[in-house]
Amino acid sequence: MLLARVEGNVVATRKHPSFQGWRLLICQPINTAGRPQGTPLAALDGLGAAMRQRVILSSDGAAARKAVGDQKSPARWMIIGIVDESQAEDSA
Amino acid sequence: MRLGAVIGRVTLGKTLPGLAGARWLMVSPFAREHYQRGRQTPSGLSQEPSLVVYDDLGGGVGETIGFIEGREASSPFDQPTPIDAINAALVDEITFHPSSI
Repeated sequence: MLLARVEGNVVATRKHPSFQGWRLLICQPINTAGRPQGTPLAALDGLGAAMRQRVILSSDGAAARKAVGDQKSPARWMIIGIVDESQAEDSA
Repeated sequence: MRLGAVIGRVTLGKTLPGLAGARWLMVSPFAREHYQRGRQTPSGLSQEPSLVVYDDLGGGVGETIGFIEGREASSPFDQPTPIDAINAALVDEITFHPSSI
């Protein structure tokens, strides 16, 4: 699972049918200091995460398939929680 | 999923039986600086290595797609299929407001 910040969204009319009705948010993985790490990912969101909010992303396809209700969906990255607060030792 | 620009198509002569007739796209994945606002993509390739993506949505050269990588890419198939990247969305529009930090 990754700590990430919501930085945008994606509009796609033509997509896998199982994604119908799901928000696709651009999430930038970040480190504990809030700095970007790696490339942004588009993740399914069923929680209503807002811009700039920090979220937890899971790459578990089995759980994502269950969430979208289609065992033949390629769904993978999904927002599984919105962060209230996180603490970490000092790191670069 | 990651987003990327379709930069070409791949046609196979000989394939595994289950993959006959499939469409394949060459995709250059977006780096952070490519997630700019609007639908126009920056010219040139990104630093990220390009890859071949299975396509059943009908993506074309110059379009932006969302593709899924890993074991999940073969979920839509009835038979076990050796595919690890699949086109899952034809992107119409991207809104991206990166944080300053």
